[in-house]
Amino acid sequence: MSVARLLFSRILFSALTLLLVSILIFLILEALPGDVATRILGRDATAKALEVLRSQLHLNQPALVRYFQWIGDFLRGDLGVSIATGRPIADVLAPRILNTLLLSLLAFAIYLVLALVPAIIQAVNRGKAVDNVISVITLLLLSLPDFLLATMLLFLFAVAVPILPALATISETSTWQETLRAMVLPAVTLAIMMAVYAIRVLRDSLIEVLRSDYVRLAELKGLRPRAVLFRHALPNAIVPALNVTALNLGFLIGGVVIVERVFSYPGFGTLLIDALQLRDIPLIKATVMISAAVYVAANLVADVLAVLLQPRLRTSR
Amino acid sequence: MTMTTSSLPSRFAWLDKGFWQTTPGPFRVGAIILIAHVLFAIAGAFWTPYGFAEMGAGLPLSGASLQHPMGLDQIGRDVFSRFMYGAHIVLLLSFAGTVLGMVAGTTLGLLSGYIGGWFDEITQRIVEAMISIPFLALALVMIIAAGPALAGEPVLIVFVVALVYAPRIARIARAAAMEIATREYVAVAELRGEGTWSIVFREILLNAANVLLVEFSLRLSYAPILIGALGFLGFGIRPPTPEWGLMISENRNLLIASPVTVFGPGLGLASLVIGFNLFTDGLSRMLGQRSVAGA
Repeated sequence: MSVARLLFSRILFSALTLLLVSILIFLILEALPGDVATRILGRDATAKALEVLRSQLHLNQPALVRYFQWIGDFLRGDLGVSIATGRPIADVLAPRILNTLLLSLLAFAIYLVLALVPAIIQAVNRGKAVDNVISVITLLLLSLPDFLLATMLLFLFAVAVPILPALATISETSTWQETLRAMVLPAVTLAIMMAVYAIRVLRDSLIEVLRSDYVRLAELKGLRPRAVLFRHALPNAIVPALNVTALNLGFLIGGVVIVERVFSYPGFGTLLIDALQLRDIPLIKATVMISAAVYVAANLVADVLAVLLQPRLRTSR
Repeated sequence: MTMTTSSLPSRFAWLDKGFWQTTPGPFRVGAIILIAHVLFAIAGAFWTPYGFAEMGAGLPLSGASLQHPMGLDQIGRDVFSRFMYGAHIVLLLSFAGTVLGMVAGTTLGLLSGYIGGWFDEITQRIVEAMISIPFLALALVMIIAAGPALAGEPVLIVFVVALVYAPRIARIARAAAMEIATREYVAVAELRGEGTWSIVFREILLNAANVLLVEFSLRLSYAPILIGALGFLGFGIRPPTPEWGLMISENRNLLIASPVTVFGPGLGLASLVIGFNLFTDGLSRMLGQRSVAGA
């Protein structure tokens, strides 16, 4: 199968998956038995308020019609109007997405360092004390819930040794230094959570590659160990870690919900929690759809990258 | 981590005398931690030093002492008593949710992998779609969709954990079923005229037991974190029932006044998950499986 056809079929599958996600979200939120308006407003709501909400959400129309209207508008870029604020969802979302994107980029940069450096140290010193110590540390961190790690880092660096702000509240008036300082703790939390998975995978695959014949050959040719490691071993060892990174992006989307909440960072995650607390169904639908789209896109990119990096995969499947 | 490599021949050598000696180190440490947690949880279900919702058990925020090893919260409740009472809630919810998710996911995955064809195709697309929604978002959306009547009920949490897990477990079960379906004994069973259900549950399920056992252990490890996260965000068990995630979130604004009220429950939760993770790690080595990290 040629790369172009493979690419095409993957994109098609991703689109299909997202279509199914939209049906699932719609089914869960609007087509479950029981009255949607009562579920949003609670059982003490007046008949008039319920009626207003029903017409606002077009609940008098059949579910099928509502679904196609929603998904049609969504595809044309009209995300609808938030019930709680009355503002267009696109306007509410845009700044929050931008903030989370900034946070994620910083977290991702830190993640790369935090994942690569320990894994390389472990693989080079495999079986030695350093290897075991790092293994134990990653296992301990793996077992730490993200909300607990965030709270611990907040305690350490904002309460016990107050060098960083505890609340990552930023606004348009913040200077870029303030913004960066505010983002450090949430970004480091996210990076650690992602790195612990990657370290374990990367260590194992790097050790496997270092044992392979072509690495032996490179060593026997008299290449410097550093060149062998970075030019020959690492690029091949990274492919399995790519899948973990895609998985991690999925985690990142979930993780930002917790981490942004702990540090009160005004991003996409806190918006989702607010929307859920206010039972703002149109806003919930839009945020969940977007997070699923990001996840699907990340997996698509990882799949394609894996194929491009390792030609062997082009023929299998 | 100690790299004890064991050469365990048979699958269920539980009854062997020297079994314990042959288990990998992580398995032993994990098992001991888990047994301690279970004993603590059983004790806490029947007796705690103070009532878990009893206010004025001592001076609020007075920090850790012999009477109150985890201090007191804002309204003078003994945090250790709450922590102790919460232990069985965390364990029961995790276990019930994971078991339910295993049953649903395994059934779906094995059938899908064995039957194949359009049934498999449709199931896989739905599974794929469910996995594409970040699990925390999916869990929260389901809690909202359940409405105010069910909010905070243990039943809801169990179902949410099961529904988040089921598609992920189904994917693993399907892969195992597809591999086992090509074996000779399955072909023989087909020739004997056994029905689909009989083949799936008598031949395939038993032979996929190792994979599924590790998967179960892995999912169980993560369940306390998921349940804790829901509690932490305010969508979990209804207060004043002391679920650990909820306690951490309640006491978080006491972090300056009395950090022990946060780190006590935090340590409990972390040690439980560490126990589960070590146990899983050892179990997967014993069963010759590779445990796959990741949500």
